[in-house]
Amino acid sequence: MEKILLRNIDVPDSHTIGVYRSRGGYRGLEKVLREMSPEQLIDEIKASGLRGRGGAGFPTGMKWGFVPKDSPKPKYVVCNADESEPGTFKDRLLIEKDPHAVIEGTLIAAYAIRSHTAFIYIRGEFSFGAQVLARAIDEAAAAGYLGKNVLGSSYDIDLILHRGAGAYICGEETGLLSSLEGGKGWPKVKPPFPATHGLFGCPTVVNNVETLASLPWIIEQGASRYAAIGTEKSKGTKLFSVSGHIEKPGVYEVDMGYPFKQFLQEHCGGVPEGKKLKGVIPGGASMPVLRAEELDGISMDYESFQAAGTLLGSGGVIVMDESTCMVRAAWNIARFFAHESCGQCSPCREGCHWMEKIFRRVEHGDGKEGDLDLILSVSGNIMGNTICPFGDAAAMPAAAFIKKYREEFDQHIREKRCTVTSSTSRVPA
Amino acid sequence: MHGYEFHVPGSGLNPKLETRNCDTHMDPVKIIIDGREVATTKGKTVIQAAAGVGIAIPHYCYHPKLTIAGNCRMCLVEIEKMPKLQIACNTPVMEGMAVKTQSPKVLEARRAVMEFLLINHPLDCPICDQAGECWLQDYYMQHDLTGSRFDEKKEHDRKREIFGPYVVFDGERCIKCTRCVRFLQEVTHTDELTVVNRGDHSTIALFPEKILDNPLSVNVVDICPVGALTDRDFRFKVRVWYLKKTPSICPGCSTGCNISVETYQNRIARFKPRINEEVNSHWLCDEGRYCFHSLTEGERLTAPMIRQEGGLVPTDWETAVQAVIAGLGAAAPVAGVLSGRNTNEEAFLFARLMKKISAAGEVFYRERELTEVEKLLKSPDRSPNFRGACDMGAGGGGFDALAGRLIEGEFRSVYIVGEDLVDLPGDGDKIKNALEKLSFLVVQDIRLTPTAKLAHVVLPSTHFGEKEGSYTNRRGRVQKLNPAVVPPLGALHDWEIFSRLLAKTGEKISFANPAEIFAALARAIPAYSEFNYDKLGDHGIQLDTQRHDH
Repeated sequence: MEKILLRNIDVPDSHTIGVYRSRGGYRGLEKVLREMSPEQLIDEIKASGLRGRGGAGFPTGMKWGFVPKDSPKPKYVVCNADESEPGTFKDRLLIEKDPHAVIEGTLIAAYAIRSHTAFIYIRGEFSFGAQVLARAIDEAAAAGYLGKNVLGSSYDIDLILHRGAGAYICGEETGLLSSLEGGKGWPKVKPPFPATHGLFGCPTVVNNVETLASLPWIIEQGASRYAAIGTEKSKGTKLFSVSGHIEKPGVYEVDMGYPFKQFLQEHCGGVPEGKKLKGVIPGGASMPVLRAEELDGISMDYESFQAAGTLLGSGGVIVMDESTCMVRAAWNIARFFAHESCGQCSPCREGCHWMEKIFRRVEHGDGKEGDLDLILSVSGNIMGNTICPFGDAAAMPAAAFIKKYREEFDQHIREKRCTVTSSTSRVPA
Repeated sequence: MHGYEFHVPGSGLNPKLETRNCDTHMDPVKIIIDGREVATTKGKTVIQAAAGVGIAIPHYCYHPKLTIAGNCRMCLVEIEKMPKLQIACNTPVMEGMAVKTQSPKVLEARRAVMEFLLINHPLDCPICDQAGECWLQDYYMQHDLTGSRFDEKKEHDRKREIFGPYVVFDGERCIKCTRCVRFLQEVTHTDELTVVNRGDHSTIALFPEKILDNPLSVNVVDICPVGALTDRDFRFKVRVWYLKKTPSICPGCSTGCNISVETYQNRIARFKPRINEEVNSHWLCDEGRYCFHSLTEGERLTAPMIRQEGGLVPTDWETAVQAVIAGLGAAAPVAGVLSGRNTNEEAFLFARLMKKISAAGEVFYRERELTEVEKLLKSPDRSPNFRGACDMGAGGGGFDALAGRLIEGEFRSVYIVGEDLVDLPGDGDKIKNALEKLSFLVVQDIRLTPTAKLAHVVLPSTHFGEKEGSYTNRRGRVQKLNPAVVPPLGALHDWEIFSRLLAKTGEKISFANPAEIFAALARAIPAYSEFNYDKLGDHGIQLDTQRHDH
C-alpha cells in the first residue's frame, strides 16, 4: 500500500520545513497558486473523491462548493485539529510529525474558497503539537508561504493557530466556531450552515487535519491517481488509530476497501496472549460496536462499515478481547459522553447523564429489570433530536452495546454483580 | 403644540432580530400544517406560520422577541421528506412544505423532552411561586401525563440565589432555555447572566462582579417559563390562580405600557406587561412595574376635611364642595394644578372648571435624565397622561412657569389635584413656603400628604387602579384604564368631584360615568372626534396627529 499521509513521518526531522521541502513539500501550494483557479481546484478535489476524515465523510470538494463566491463578507477556513474522539490519535501524529503537510493543506483549502484568513484550532491538551505547529507556521511564513503575496502570486493569506481549552464538543464544527469566536463551545443551530454563516457569521469551511493533509499529495500527483485507490465511494487512503487488546497498536494508513479482519490480524498482529476477540469499535467511541463474528466480510471503507450497521467515523479502532466486560465498556463510554455533553439542548444534557447513571448501576450490581429497555428508550429519544451530532454519538454506542451483548447485561442484572471481570472497584460518579 | 419635545422610546425590539428579519420578504408562501393549507410569507419559520393561524406548537426557548436558541427541543415537528424531526422555531417555511405537529413521532419526542426536562427537576410545585403559570406544569398536562421512569439520584443546584434587587434564582427548576441570558444580551445589552458549566451541571450564573439590577431586569421573570426566576416583590404574597387580572395602562410614565393589573382581595399584587407592539412590545420597566406601591399604598382618606381652629376635621361632601367654591371665589387670582395621572375625562372637566372660575390651570410635568437602558422603554417624565390632559385644555405644558408664579406669590388661592408638590425634589421647599402664605388651598388626593396637610379643604379621591378612563401617551396613543380595585367608601373619583364643583358653580352637568364624559370630549375635541371606549379596546388607538395636531 502506498503511503500518502504517512509518507514523511519516519524521516528524521520530518517536522522541519527543510525536510518537508526536500520531499516535495509546498509544491502542491505552488501549483494551485500558479496554475489553477479556485474553481479548477474545487473540481480537482471533487474528482479525487476525497471525503471528510473527521468522521462524517462528507465529500470535501462539494463542501467547498457550497461557499458563496459572491459574498461580500470575508471567508474563513478552519483546520479542525481538536481531535478528541476516544480511540482516535491519527491527527496528533500528523500534527507532530508532518505539520507542514497540515499547513500546506490548509492553505490550499483557503485558496479554493478565496479565503485570506485561515485558522488551525488545536485541542488544548495537544500542547506539544501546538508548539510544533507554531514553529512550522513561523517557518512557512519566513519562507513566503504565508502572509502577503504568497510566492509572488499576489494572493494573501494569514494562518492563525488557536488552542482550545479542552472540551470534546469543540471538535463539532459549529461548537468549534463558537469557541473560536471567543464564546462558550456551544454548537450552533442549523440552518444557517457554516458554508454561508460560519465563523463570525461569515462563510466558513471547517476541514479535519487528515482531510487537509491529503490535499498536497492529491494536487501534486493528480486526482485520478488518488481516485484510483479505494472503492467506488471511498477513495484514497485512510488513517486508522488502533488501540486496545491488539498486538501492535498504532496509526496505520490503509487503502480504502482493505479487508478489516485481515488488517487486524496481519498488520496489527491480532489479539495478544492468544485470547479471543470479543468486539471491535471501528470508528471511535461514538460508533456502534461490532461483535467479533460480524467482522467477516467487512472492508475498510464508508459503505462497508455502514452496511454492517456501524460507521467508519474517525477510524479509531478499539479492540476488545474476551476479558472485557461489555457493561463496563459501555458505562465507560457513557461516562465520557455525560461528562462532555455541552448541556445546551435538553435531550443530550439530561439523557446522557441518565444513561450513564443506569449503566453504572448495572455494572455495580444494582441493575433492575427494565433498565436495559429504559436505556434503549432514552437513547432513542436522544437520537436525531439534538442540536448537533453529539446526541447521536452518545446514543449510538449505548444502544449498540446493549443490543449486541444483551446476554451479558442481563447476566449482570440477574446475578447482581459484574460477571466478567474480577474487578470490584467502584468508580465514583 | 406641547411645550416639550417628543422623546420616542423604542418599543423594546431586539436589534439582532431586526437584522435577521431584514432577509425576509413579503413573498407569499403556502405550506400545509396538519393537512391544513396555511398562507404565510417567505422568511417566516414554521412556528410563526403556525401561530399565525392559531396552531400553537409547544416551546420553551423560542420567544418571538429574542434570537433563536433551538435548545429546548420542545417544538420538534415532522416535515415531509426530512428524515429527522425538525425544530419549528428554526425551520424556514418553503412552498409546499408539509408539516405534522401531531404525528406519533412528534408526540413521542415531545413527551421525551418533557421527561428529560423533569428528571432533575425538584417537582416542588407546592412551594414554587410559579405554580399555576408554569409551562412545565401546563405542558406536562398537555404532552406528557406519564409517571417518571427516572429512578436515580437527582442533580442538585443553587437555591434562592439573589440575582438582583428584584430577581431570585432557583437553579434546580431551571430548564436552561437561556431566554433570560438572551434578553440581557439582546434587548438591554447589559449582559449580567450567562450559562456556566457543562452537561447536567449547566446552570445560569451572574458574571463575576455583576448583579442583575438594570432598569428592565424583572422582564427576565416574565419570560422565564418556569419557576427558576421569580419576582422578589411578588413571590409568596398570593397564589397566582387567585389573581384577578384587569387590562390597564401603567401610570409610571408617559410611555403608556400596556399592563395587566393583578389583584387579590382588593389589593394590587403585581403588574405584568401586556403585549402591545405599538407601545411596549412584551416588556415593562422595573420602575413602572413597582410604581403601584408608592401610588396606592398607605392610609387612605375616607372623608373630606376642612380646616378649623386646631386643624383639619372631617366633614361631609356638601359642606366641603360649598367651602371650595366659596373659598376659591373669594381669593382670586386662582391657580389649579392637575396631576399627570388624571385621565382625559377628568382633565376635560378640570379644564371646564378652571375656565368657569377664571383660574390658571396647568398639568404637572417634570423631566429627569434617563440612561440608555431606561430609554428603551421609559419616558423622561412621570405624567402618564400629560399629553392627553393638555389635549383636553387642562394645561399647555407650562407647569414650571406656573410653579414660578406660585413661588413669586402671584396667586391668592390654589387647587392641587393628586400631586404632592411640597415633596417635589428641587423647589419643594419654596412651593411649601408659597402654599403656607395662601389665603386658600384645596388639595384633592388619596392620602393626607404633606401638601394636603397645608390645605384648607382636603377632598378624598381615587387612584389609577380604581378608576375608569383614558390616557393619551407621549406618542399620541389613546388607551383605556380599567378599574381593578374598589375605592374606599367616602372617596370620590376626581371626575365626580369636578362634576360636583361644576354643578355648584351653576353649570348644568350630569355625567353618569366616564364613558359619557368621553363622548362629550370627543364631540368637543377634534382629534378625539372619532373615538369611543369600544374603539379603544385593549390596545388603544393612535391619534391622527397629521390631521389634528397643529
